[in-house]
Amino acid sequence: MNTSLYVPGDTPLHRLPAGAKFGVLFAAGIGLFLLAHPAVLGAAAAVAAALVLSARAPLGALRARLLPVGVMLAVLFAATALLQDAGTAVAMLLRLAALILLALAVTLTTRPADLLEFFERLTAPLARVGVANPERISLGVSLVLRFVPEVFRRFQEIREAQAARGLKANPVALLVPLIVRTLKAADDVADAIDARCYPPPRRPSGGARTEENAT
Amino acid sequence: MTAPAGPAPGAAPGERPSAAEAPAPVIELHGVSVGYDGRTVLSGLDLRLAERRIGVIGQNGSGKSTLARLLNGLVVPDEGRVLVDGRDTRTDGRRVRSEVGFVFQNPDNQIVFPIVAEDMAFGLKNLGLPKKEIPGRVAEALESFGIGHLAERHSHLLSGGEKQLVALASVMVMRPRTVVFDEPTTLLDLRNRNRIRDAVDAMAPAAVVVTHDLELVSGYDRVLVVHEGGIAFDGAPGEAVAWYREHCS
Ligand SMILES: Nc1ncnc2c1ncn2[C@@H]1O[C@H](COP(=O)(O)OP(=O)(O)OP(=O)(O)O)[C@@H](O)[C@H]1O
Ligand SMILES: [Mg+2]
Repeated sequence: MNTSLYVPGDTPLHRLPAGAKFGVLFAAGIGLFLLAHPAVLGAAAAVAAALVLSARAPLGALRARLLPVGVMLAVLFAATALLQDAGTAVAMLLRLAALILLALAVTLTTRPADLLEFFERLTAPLARVGVANPERISLGVSLVLRFVPEVFRRFQEIREAQAARGLKANPVALLVPLIVRTLKAADDVADAIDARCYPPPRRPSGGARTEENAT
Repeated sequence: MTAPAGPAPGAAPGERPSAAEAPAPVIELHGVSVGYDGRTVLSGLDLRLAERRIGVIGQNGSGKSTLARLLNGLVVPDEGRVLVDGRDTRTDGRRVRSEVGFVFQNPDNQIVFPIVAEDMAFGLKNLGLPKKEIPGRVAEALESFGIGHLAERHSHLLSGGEKQLVALASVMVMRPRTVVFDEPTTLLDLRNRNRIRDAVDAMAPAAVVVTHDLELVSGYDRVLVVHEGGIAFDGAPGEAVAWYREHCS
């Protein structure tokens, strides 16, 4: 089951620099929350969907990524329609769908390595004034990229295992093993990161050495 | 594989022509005790490890993984010291880990980055290798295990055997002098188990291999049996396995 975020390819979106894609995503995120007209939001969602399709990811891969999000959106839509009104629910649905599809288009077409470099460059000014450590930030981002699909996969495994034993879907019964397993995996991954000599030595321009802070 | 130095025997895929054929580092444990949450797991260990192929066997929960983790400072002793070529794992952990690589049982948790080549590059970046040298080293290491074609693949979508080879390559690319393995074949089918066995047998660095696969260690120079908080037997593989079968089954 392929649930990882990036799909290799050579489409225009793939060739666009990571910084440009994130810039657009960021601007679109703000724009979408300022706009409220359903037609405009619908158009935005359609454009976002077209961008996703332009990445030429296999349909199976798209379905695996969109199914959990779709379920969540459907629940949100129903709740909003019930608690507020249909108009608000439609606007919310289109807005979130547009945003999620845009984010998907970016992550589908951006190599994790490029994403990391972009974040490193973005945080370099902060590093220079000593506020952040770019290596840590980039590792953090890549770990998120790594764990998100795995959490999805584990969620499905646990649900299937519970269904096989005749258990009804129960959020607590799902979440507890999910959290435990994810923490255990995170613990092991932290060891693996240590074992491979993280963090890298500071470059000559950098500040203090962070020799043993990974242990 | 008993030769103290020189190229590894056989032309198995793990061979690394570029590896400096340095002798195995000497790993010493002096009065080492360690436990978790106040419960002692290993106590009063004194060991000197310098052979090129060392096996570690023992029952579930006997402390094999804990012993393995002591060797590169992933676990530091509560009492006593662990020295790798004289360097204390407590104060010089990073340096020790650059010489003593570690391959975990579950490659899923060992592989950090989503794309194989990136994961391989991670260790090299941590060693401070110049950026332009990294792709060459990565390609060379993958080729040496016959998995060059996996470079751009998603690490988490590989088969179990491929993942374990990638995990091994990602450690070997750092050119460690010793590699510690914690049950490297437990999750593998027979064919992949044999691939890993051959790769371990053929690789240039020394190896300490924790395993329940008694046949794996049959050609090793030395086998330790971990039992009841200590090393209950230490000797040739045949005798160690016989002792283990007699006392622990
Ligand atoms: N991080 C930890 N926290 C608490 N207890 C631990 C931890 N790691 C290991 N232990 C305990 O220490 C003991 C030895 O564990 P260890 O993993 O070293 O055994 P092992 O010989 O590798 O077992 P196995 O063959 O099952 O892998 C066990 O009782 C285990 O429960
Ligand atoms: Mg173990």
